[in-house]
Amino acid sequence: MDASLFNNYETGDTFYDEMYNGKTIRPPYVKLYEHLKQFTAEELTQKEEMARRLFMSQGVTFTVYSGDEGIEKIFPFDIVPRIITSSEWNYIETGIKQRLKALNLFLNDVYSNQFIIKDKIIPIEMIYSCEHYLREMHNLKVPHEIFVHISGIDIIRDSDGTFYVLEDNLRTPSGVSYMLENREITKRIFPDLLPSTSVRQVINYPQLLYKNLAALSPRHNSNPTIVMLTPGIYNSAYFEHSTLARLMGIELVEGKDLVVDNHRVFMKTTQGLQRVDVIYRRVDDEYLDPLVFKADSMLGVAGLMSAYRKGHVAIVNAPGNGVADDKAVYIYVPDMIKYYLNEEPILKNVPTYKLEDASEREHVFKNIEKMVIKKTNGSGGYGMIIGNAATEQEIEDYKIEVLKDPRSFIAQPIISLSAAPCYINGKLAPRRIDLRPFALFGPSGIEIVPGGLTRVALKEGSLVVNSSQGGGSKDTWVLND
Amino acid sequence: MLSRVANSLYWMSRYMERCDGILRLLRVNYEYSQDGFEAFSWRPVLVIFTDMLPQTIEKNKYEGRKVLQFMVTDKLNNNSVFSLVNKARENARSVQDNVTKEVWQCLNEYYHTSRNQNLGIKLQNDDPISVLNDLVQQGMYYYGTCEITMARNEGYYFMNIGKYLERAMQSVDILNVKFSELNYSLEEKSDPTYWKYLLLSISGYEIFLKSYRSALDSRNILHQIVWNEHFPRSIIYSVRRLKQSFETLKTDRTTEAYKALSHMIGKLESHIRYTDLKDIEEKGVKDYLNHIKLELMAIGNALNHYYFQFN
Repeated sequence: MDASLFNNYETGDTFYDEMYNGKTIRPPYVKLYEHLKQFTAEELTQKEEMARRLFMSQGVTFTVYSGDEGIEKIFPFDIVPRIITSSEWNYIETGIKQRLKALNLFLNDVYSNQFIIKDKIIPIEMIYSCEHYLREMHNLKVPHEIFVHISGIDIIRDSDGTFYVLEDNLRTPSGVSYMLENREITKRIFPDLLPSTSVRQVINYPQLLYKNLAALSPRHNSNPTIVMLTPGIYNSAYFEHSTLARLMGIELVEGKDLVVDNHRVFMKTTQGLQRVDVIYRRVDDEYLDPLVFKADSMLGVAGLMSAYRKGHVAIVNAPGNGVADDKAVYIYVPDMIKYYLNEEPILKNVPTYKLEDASEREHVFKNIEKMVIKKTNGSGGYGMIIGNAATEQEIEDYKIEVLKDPRSFIAQPIISLSAAPCYINGKLAPRRIDLRPFALFGPSGIEIVPGGLTRVALKEGSLVVNSSQGGGSKDTWVLND
Repeated sequence: MLSRVANSLYWMSRYMERCDGILRLLRVNYEYSQDGFEAFSWRPVLVIFTDMLPQTIEKNKYEGRKVLQFMVTDKLNNNSVFSLVNKARENARSVQDNVTKEVWQCLNEYYHTSRNQNLGIKLQNDDPISVLNDLVQQGMYYYGTCEITMARNEGYYFMNIGKYLERAMQSVDILNVKFSELNYSLEEKSDPTYWKYLLLSISGYEIFLKSYRSALDSRNILHQIVWNEHFPRSIIYSVRRLKQSFETLKTDRTTEAYKALSHMIGKLESHIRYTDLKDIEEKGVKDYLNHIKLELMAIGNALNHYYFQFN
């Protein structure tokens, strides 16, 4: 028996610890604690090694290309699962469903009548200054009026234990394959623990997604042709593209495999041209169609938008969603919920300042040590600055960038993300986490896979969880009680 | 099946077959080089498998260790074992959902083995045969995994088409180079070990002894490598298997492509089947082998045109 790992666990008082309330273990984690304390540090390290080997041999890697050779790297995985109670999950789930409904209505509106602008809820400049707003989507009828088929809504917990939405990801959110793999790995390294703890399943995501994709087919036959459009093997998320395609049993294609003829999409096969009904595309909007967007794109299909406009092919997610997950438009999402649904938002936004507004900008600059400033169209944790972690020079340089183009920046107070115990270098230590549940919006409603991807900032003291900047992930459990 | 996918599987298979052929040739050539009295020439190997200039070949043909390094580990040599396994693996990766997990893992392991630093060191300083044996074994693992785990779908048959096409070309090339050293004469009496090592390098020595009990002479060698239906590396065997694999691709929709290619393959098979040593004596070994090589290349081009590069 070796409870010393837990006895030596040092939590903190500036954040909410997911497992510990002071010195007491929170009830959802008791069973896990009972199970884990039977292992010595060596045994846990062995489990960590096993996880690593399984990731490698199963090919759950992303590839870094150096010269002509591809070198496999594993997305870091922490073996200690993160637990969410069923009532916490109900709250998150209802909140996300409400939010997605509003966002979808917003997208329908902003690409047609624009009532929300006419009623002066959102300023028109906010929309038209957003680089992801696509004029080509204006008045385009999308199947079942759904724009956000697949989304990842990032949730964080503040130091008082309240859940907030940190940001919406409505374009090509990734990470679901790691959610699935993490669960498979946990089954191997902690045998029998999952069944005895009554955790809700995540394994049905591919089937759910397939069902939703099939429902969008313009040709109402029993066996629509659905494809996954990937930028190719040099894309860092390629593993996810090929995994999802495999789990759904759909063809994985690249832009060069498709051709548009008479406003219909076909794929080039050894048996000739085969008609395509639905495209789940992991290629960004601007690369989708060289005839309409970026002319030098090698990743897209010439004429795709014309086929889409004529309703001969369905595209998931719809182009143009970027206007709704823009970090400045994020500020208006609670207003969207009130405007379209006539309801109070269940999940709250993190307070956000528009740096375009002079008085808000002044407030932010005056309190910059307590602020995070981000680019509105940024991702991967790049292009941001954390006020209490940057040098004076870095802050001054960043302020200059902001003043050059204030519309492209927003600021939020530094949220003390919650922390969960991680097994790092033979010890248990708290690291900050967030949560990305994955939601599927289909003609029969919104379904959210219980759990999602918990991302971890593996560097001590860091608040940045993105994989491109030293982040890792955990298996996420939603309890069944 | 996507044209691009069929293309990738076909080439993955060709690279692996080429790699296997090269390793066996290197292994036996090295053994031969330890056996003879005179300096052993690696010229045939360099001519068949590299695009080295004739003067460079002349300069290096006696440098056994150097040739081994170049043919096994050199990243700049497009046909080194390392390059071929790397290319095969990249092809597999780009169509990973069309090979089984086992096949992918196998290629992955082969790739890691081939880029191990110790390999080059052992090849330079120790017994190279152990190194070559290990690599050949990895290749065997790949063949077995494909046979046992791959579903018998279009992809599998395109892989077979690539494998047998490559094998046939290799056999033609090897015969070509070996006979060129004898000025393509069937009469020239050469050192018997010359032919013995050739047969060993294509795993054909044991079957030769059982089929042609007489002494090793060029006519029997030619017969075995061109016409012996029991020899898995003979040209007729490879072309037959190529034909069988291709026939599985017949469907209602591809009449033009299918007709064109089955005509070419059938014609080649008949040509080989209905010529014999007497015809070759009249026509000449060189022309005969060149004709077969050109036909094989034409089949490769036609496959590309009709199945892989959809226009």
